[in-house]
Amino acid sequence: MALAGTVLPAPWWGRPLRWLVRQPAWRTLGPFVPIAALWALAVELEIFPRAFFPGPLEVLRAFGSLIYKGVLPQYLQDSVVRLAVGTGLGVLAGVPFGILIGLHTRSYRFFWPLVIFFQAIGDIAWLPILLIWFGFTLTTMTFVIVYTVVFPVIFNTALGVRTVPLEMIRAAQSLGAPRWRILGDVVLPGALPNVVTGLRNGLGYGWRALIAAEIIVGTSGIGFMMFDARRSGSVVEMLLGMIVLGILWYVVDGGILAPLERATIQRWGMVTDV
Amino acid sequence: MSDLVIRELTKTYYDLYSGQHVTAVQDVSLELREGEFVSIVGPSGCGKTTLLNVIAGFIPPTRGEVLLDGRRVQGPGPDRGVVFQSFALFPWKTVLQNVAFGLKMRGLGRAERERVAREHIALVGLAGSEGQYPHELSGGMQQRVGVARVLANHPEVMLMDEPFASVDAQTRMTLQEELTRIWEAKHPTVLFVTHDVDEAVFLANRVVVLSARPARVREVVAVDLPRPRSWTALVEDAAYKRLVARVLALVRTPAP
Repeated sequence: MALAGTVLPAPWWGRPLRWLVRQPAWRTLGPFVPIAALWALAVELEIFPRAFFPGPLEVLRAFGSLIYKGVLPQYLQDSVVRLAVGTGLGVLAGVPFGILIGLHTRSYRFFWPLVIFFQAIGDIAWLPILLIWFGFTLTTMTFVIVYTVVFPVIFNTALGVRTVPLEMIRAAQSLGAPRWRILGDVVLPGALPNVVTGLRNGLGYGWRALIAAEIIVGTSGIGFMMFDARRSGSVVEMLLGMIVLGILWYVVDGGILAPLERATIQRWGMVTDV
Repeated sequence: MSDLVIRELTKTYYDLYSGQHVTAVQDVSLELREGEFVSIVGPSGCGKTTLLNVIAGFIPPTRGEVLLDGRRVQGPGPDRGVVFQSFALFPWKTVLQNVAFGLKMRGLGRAERERVAREHIALVGLAGSEGQYPHELSGGMQQRVGVARVLANHPEVMLMDEPFASVDAQTRMTLQEELTRIWEAKHPTVLFVTHDVDEAVFLANRVVVLSARPARVREVVAVDLPRPRSWTALVEDAAYKRLVARVLALVRTPAP
């Protein structure tokens, strides 16, 4: 081949670089490398006083020491358990209620104004009165998370139920399916893409609500750790808390939501793969 | 006896936008004998699908009645299986689960319903695709599943609402030939709604021609073409051409 001679020899680092870029860990972490580098650079140039603006290495060191002391794992566990319990209760309440108002016109007419009204009040706005009623307790925090999670789940479930194609329900009817089986075999799976969207939104809002609740109610948890760090003036711990929040969302999304979607609605071709 | 009798059926809608009552179907009477294949054709928008929806029990008639074996139709039921233009398969069920769905609803055990389902999947030429999901199949294959799903449920009549309108022309011809083959093998009673005159004549024993809206029965044309039918043979067939020309003239000219 005459053209073969014009091809440049591949540099020695070409193959390992291509291998690196294909790694899932690199795909996730890669974009953060320049951010961390810029951060380190800004610290080295001492644009801000070091005490207010610690560098990546100091945060990493704090991470290690907090894990070693057992504080971070304990707080992380507290936060995650609260979120899981709150989300679980929110889904258990929101999905059936969403189905009810999605299918039953009279329930929809009755409940819709109430749903809109209470949704508008917002989770944080409940905190003052909740503190009076329940004090600085787990009940207060759970209430706030459930309250935050339940509305997106209700809205999206109701929407999902209504967008199940009429012909699919008719097909089930003319195959002899009784009403309750249509609910379980057609309406619920048909609404699943929207239910998952509701769950994703709900979890996202619930996560934020949890941090806010921990800051105000806090006796433990990531939000508490960050706010508590203010007293000792530990900017390192605040930054660490922020980073942990971001990472944890990756874990929730990649470890729970994404596999759930892959096993259901992506497998069934009900959403386009990304 | 599983005769389908449609007696002086009228369907009137209240149209919200114009604020007027619109008659889609007017005084349609029709009888299907057991094991008969009847096509219904008519001008676009004449109310063919409305008629089928009333027979399926999806919408109630304004006047008149639909009788199956002498029993009055009230709502949808497994005695009238429907094949939809949009296929209406369940995306979250495999081919096997889709075809076994009706039998599952009727309480058949797993082994038995899967045996019957596999048999009908093979009948429509999809053996080997049992474990696939609908979105993994082509449009033509999806509608084969739609047909198998209804036939596996052994309805007294199979109602087909423009089932091949959303597949490409060549696939459509294959599906039409397959349907005649299946009909010759199993002799289900079929009511087939279409706007395609060639298709109506190719498939049926009788073609019911409806008038423009409101739909009335304009004429019933008997199709005495020999079976098995194939496009290669019929496309040059003089009797077939005459029948198509006659039905086409009835569809395209306004009723006197």
